[in-house]
Amino acid sequence: MTAISQALPTAHDSGHRFDTERRWAASLALGFERRDGVTRMVQARHQGPLRVQRPFFPEGREGACHVYLLHPPGGLVSGDALNISARLATGSHALLTTPAANKLYKADSQGVAWQQHTRLSVDDGASLEWLPQETIAFDGSRGAQHTEIALHGAARCLGWEVLALGRPASQLPYVSGRIDQRFRLTRDGKPLWLERQPLDPLHPRFHGRWGQGGASVQATLWAAGLGDADATAAIDVLREALPDNNRWAVTLRHGVLLLRYLGCERNEAWALCQQAWELLRPRLLGCQAHTPRIWLT
Amino acid sequence: MITRMPTESPALGDDLALLGLLQLVSPALPIGAFAWSQGLESAFELGWVSDEASLGEWLAGVLDDGLAHCDLPALAGLYTAWEHGDAEAIAEWDVWLAANRETAELAAEDSRLGASLARLLGSLERLPDSGMLPPDAGYVTLFAWTARMRGVTQRQALLGFAWAWLENQLAVACKALPLGHTAAQRLVERLRPALVVAVDLALELDDDELGPALPGLAMASALHETQYSRLFRS
Repeated sequence: MTAISQALPTAHDSGHRFDTERRWAASLALGFERRDGVTRMVQARHQGPLRVQRPFFPEGREGACHVYLLHPPGGLVSGDALNISARLATGSHALLTTPAANKLYKADSQGVAWQQHTRLSVDDGASLEWLPQETIAFDGSRGAQHTEIALHGAARCLGWEVLALGRPASQLPYVSGRIDQRFRLTRDGKPLWLERQPLDPLHPRFHGRWGQGGASVQATLWAAGLGDADATAAIDVLREALPDNNRWAVTLRHGVLLLRYLGCERNEAWALCQQAWELLRPRLLGCQAHTPRIWLT
Repeated sequence: MITRMPTESPALGDDLALLGLLQLVSPALPIGAFAWSQGLESAFELGWVSDEASLGEWLAGVLDDGLAHCDLPALAGLYTAWEHGDAEAIAEWDVWLAANRETAELAAEDSRLGASLARLLGSLERLPDSGMLPPDAGYVTLFAWTARMRGVTQRQALLGFAWAWLENQLAVACKALPLGHTAAQRLVERLRPALVVAVDLALELDDDELGPALPGLAMASALHETQYSRLFRS
């Protein structure tokens, strides 16, 4: 063997470069297991600037294990490659959230993209809540945000992604760039929900009514693991309780409850998701919502 | 004088194949396609589509971001899978398409039309061999089978599917907007070339470019579930 292998860069050889090969990798792999009735974080392997704080149990020792994911840089720039994975073993229950909004900064002069890939694997009888604070895309940001949820057996998962395009407060709308948001949810390997949201302000769909309709904030909330009858009842409750307007809608397809928001207000989207979570949590997970304190700070 | 009747299982693309395609895409095909609006009725109610111009924009958008990236490439993949008798690929495409349906009504439309077409084919003794058809196969899966069985070419199967979609959407608009029949024909004139573009695109796209991007349509379709007064089932 004389040829030098040209492997893809890994976290080890990433670093500051200012050309099209720019890449800065960070990863975080979490593992949860239930032992003696308590969910323990048994793995927290990280590379690069991604960390977790010590898990805590605000709902009592046998309640959900709450974990804050920290990304000290606070945002993604060109070339960043974040890989987050969490694996929940049978019977465990974890709530993952973040202490602040995730910012997607303007691409560098080479237009290099960032990527954030989240893989969530939930075993039979385990419950995962994936409740990150919102993502704010600055004008010119380019990248891909993929979320994969692999459920096994009777696993349950409730999660959301809230994405705000541009910074309306600073009158800096999202008028260039491209973000590719994707979701893939499977149960026992079978795809139940696939979604692709290419966000390109220069494409007709960005303003077209069949597409974004000019919305600068979008949210997608999913809940998987409710039986169809319970899910239908939960949808009735959501429609009754949540504000009556056309900026959000909820539906149930192939066993996955989906609530979508298309509008222009981050606070409206967040309040909607949080309220839906409070109503869905007891039905899906059998416990009352316990607001992570970090959301209040 | 001997009259030779052409036989079924025609050569690819011959006269019988053309007639088979016309039969498959005809609004008279008794599968109830006329009852579904794919979110369009809701778009009327929301005021998002209100006249010929806005309907033209909506349809061109859905054709590009929906059909060309989702239904049509799936139909092409299913056609090839039927051609090769590849039950695994047929099942994979069927599941892929179902997983891409954004709402309860869009999912129901797929499965109800699929079940109706299967029932019809059963009574015509034209169903595929048992074991080839996935359980609760969707409409596109059965459309692909029928087109292939009739000797329709892959490309013309896609064109036929897109045509049936356009005609059905315009029928919805004529009933519910209402849109005049001449205006509907003006839209056909405008969008006919776009159907060809959509089919070309569907046959070129890479797998990782597939999937609909119709957040507004998805919102409209989910809102349709609680629409007070409605003529259509989606």
